Amino acid sequence: MNAAPDQHAPGMLIRKLESITTLSDKERQAVRSLPMRIHNLDARQDIVRDGDQPTHCCLILDGWACRYKMLSQGKRQILSFHIAGDIPDLQSLHIHTMDHSLATLTKAVVAFIPHESLRELTACYPGIASIFWRDTLIDAGIFREWLISMGRRSAFEHVAHLFCELYLKLQAVGLAGNFRCPLPITQTDIADALGLTSVHVNRVLQEMRGRTMITLRSQTLVIEAWDELLRVSEFDSTYLQLGKRVAG
Amino acid sequence: MTLRLQPVQVGTGSYDIEGQLVFADAFLAAVLVRLSGFHEDIAGMWFLEAGFGLVSSATPPTFADLDAAQTWIEQRLAHAA
Repeated sequence: MNAAPDQHAPGMLIRKLESITTLSDKERQAVRSLPMRIHNLDARQDIVRDGDQPTHCCLILDGWACRYKMLSQGKRQILSFHIAGDIPDLQSLHIHTMDHSLATLTKAVVAFIPHESLRELTACYPGIASIFWRDTLIDAGIFREWLISMGRRSAFEHVAHLFCELYLKLQAVGLAGNFRCPLPITQTDIADALGLTSVHVNRVLQEMRGRTMITLRSQTLVIEAWDELLRVSEFDSTYLQLGKRVAG
Repeated sequence: MTLRLQPVQVGTGSYDIEGQLVFADAFLAAVLVRLSGFHEDIAGMWFLEAGFGLVSSATPPTFADLDAAQTWIEQRLAHAA
């Protein structure tokens, strides 16, 4: 654990906020002066648990995390994947008791920002409050797409849809390009996110490889046939609200 | 209730084709499929490809062998008793 101040952390938050709208100098300065405690976390470590009443929010600086819910007999449903720049428990600022857990999937570096400081920030700078609000609305849009996939897409279409989404999200924060992105998660993680078994995920990956749509090696996903992946999953990136970015 | 197995080939659209129909008395209760070498650490295990009625599951399990699969299926069906 490391509580040393780090200029990388506010920079990451500013980048995230400015991916939504441009900040004024004053707003940028206010974000820069937010107190942040930096923590280095192991893979598969809970950050905040179902039922907790946290007093800070978690900004991911490096690594992957997921929201999840546990059912009986060890059954886990992953609700979302998160990458650098995300604040997956932003809702705890206004909804005090967690209704799900948040955990790392890989080794991760996170910054904890006290609720009190975030409340002051949003009270003083309504523009920043709007950006956070917009972020939670996009989050809800992603949930809607996941619901559609869960209910109405085949396993093949569902995996294809997830790959398109992850690639574009990673590309938007500069972590992917040239149809290549890190995928440091297991087939079980993918299965738990998509409501499938790892047997089905493995079969889908074999078929995608067989049709030369993807290559998956050393935790790197290479999309060999982007247009085909978009087509089979009926992927429409509008819900990610990424502006005019195109894949590549 | 007695379980009876009947070998069958299953069109899973993958290399997992060796299967067993599992009958509980006269009724088809489940289809098990042996996982091919493409499944690495779970290759050779038996997967509940389909389960009917009480044997259906939102999270279909994988079993070390056919005995373990049948024990599980019997337990599920016993809930009806």
